[in-house]
Amino acid sequence: MVNDDRRKFLAICLGGLTASAVVAVGYPVYRYLAPLQKENAAGKVVIPEQELPAGGAKFFEYAGSTAVMVRKQGGDLVALSAVCTHLGCIVQWEKEKQDFLCPCHAGRFTPEGTVISGPPPKPLAKLPFVVANGVITVG
Amino acid sequence: MGLFKIILDWLDRRIGVREIVAKELTGYLLPRNINVWYSMGSILLFIFGLQVVTGILLLIHYVPDADKAFKSVTFIMNDVPFGWLIRMCHAVGSNMMVLILLFHMLSVLFMGSYKKPRELNWLSGFILFNLIMGISLTGYLLPWSQLSFWATSVATNSAGSIPVVGPFLVEFLRGSKLVGPATLGRFFALHVAVLPLAIAGLIGAHLFFLKRTGISTPPFGLKESGNQWQGDIYRYEDHPGGIPFFPNYALQDATSIALYLAFFLAVVFFDPYLFFTRESFVAANPFQTPAHIKPEWYFLANYQTLKIFPNELIGLSLQGAAMTFLALLPFIDRGSERHPLKRPLFMAAAMGGIILWIGLSIWGHYS
Repeated sequence: MVNDDRRKFLAICLGGLTASAVVAVGYPVYRYLAPLQKENAAGKVVIPEQELPAGGAKFFEYAGSTAVMVRKQGGDLVALSAVCTHLGCIVQWEKEKQDFLCPCHAGRFTPEGTVISGPPPKPLAKLPFVVANGVITVG
Repeated sequence: MGLFKIILDWLDRRIGVREIVAKELTGYLLPRNINVWYSMGSILLFIFGLQVVTGILLLIHYVPDADKAFKSVTFIMNDVPFGWLIRMCHAVGSNMMVLILLFHMLSVLFMGSYKKPRELNWLSGFILFNLIMGISLTGYLLPWSQLSFWATSVATNSAGSIPVVGPFLVEFLRGSKLVGPATLGRFFALHVAVLPLAIAGLIGAHLFFLKRTGISTPPFGLKESGNQWQGDIYRYEDHPGGIPFFPNYALQDATSIALYLAFFLAVVFFDPYLFFTRESFVAANPFQTPAHIKPEWYFLANYQTLKIFPNELIGLSLQGAAMTFLALLPFIDRGSERHPLKRPLFMAAAMGGIILWIGLSIWGHYS
């Protein structure tokens, strides 16, 4: 019986040591492999207003992802995530039809990001922006 | 333990794992007088595994481009979380691998384990030793520092003294007249693909020979320390009544690896730049040779030999002759006696060789 207790005690010690070793090796490796935080990941993006004529769109990188700014025919501005809500492809702006088409599975969205047709389950995410002195600031 | 037994039973019914364990682990008997020097191979296997893992991790951020290599290494060291740790483990580990490899070879030499019928173990091990030197040399260039650049220039240049083909060989090794982006490309391919595969394959062959011939009996603590093999037929050297590999010797292997890790991590954490010089922290500049450029410690004896002789070819030939002699040692030293103290000529030659090697290395370091 004494032997059994000793075995159990040693097994617990060995288990504890192994667990510590796994953490000591695993944590640095995880941190090494984890995506690096870019300095401007949460930064703002500035677009001069003249770069967006009526009916036009401008794609840009925002918070580590792709976004798009659209000026509708009426002159209203909309900032959206350009990542299709179906399987993550980047939507394309169709100037003639004034809508977004996802080339992967033919999902269509209005300039407001609402789903018109195809498989996307949700509208494109809207992004906050302000316009001041002829400059659009997203974020 | 219940779950472990269920998994074991499940596997046992399908692939007979208990039979494998009985044959290869608990029933794999080793000589009763086996000693700690027999665990050097396990330490080396562990180091090689660690070098492969840290090497793969470094590949994630390293860029093998002459314009970006040094910057990418600096990025790994300064910006990637724990990048310094991964790189230091790789750099220090490469030096440790050579050091433990030398211990492994010395133990095989002194215990006469290279003798027949183990010539193939020795030969495969000797080729492995050369490949490890090769992988260290090619890896040395990759950080593209002043040290990398000029040490590689000097190392590749020595091949130029070989008559007739020398100049062609140097250019072929470098991929250009001087060390440059072409050299980095080929050294990178050799370092991360060709040599690791060759080393892994040879480790497999080395272990295969070990398993087929059986582990040698240490010559110590026995009345009869001679080799009993007659060379007539294939015979597996078994050790009836010996100690089981698992758990007995596996524990010795684990202890040796733990001791090695303590030593290795002490260097990594307390003296990480032990094997670095000031030139290691400056980007390669092909227009400026730093003063007193020296190779790694294990090439210092070779470096000094080349410096001693006014004619490089003589220095190179002597090194070639010494290496050939070592490679063919089991075919030259054919006596059956394995105890070092009963082999005075071997002892004198071995001690002389070791003292000469250490002396040349120290001379090379301070010259």
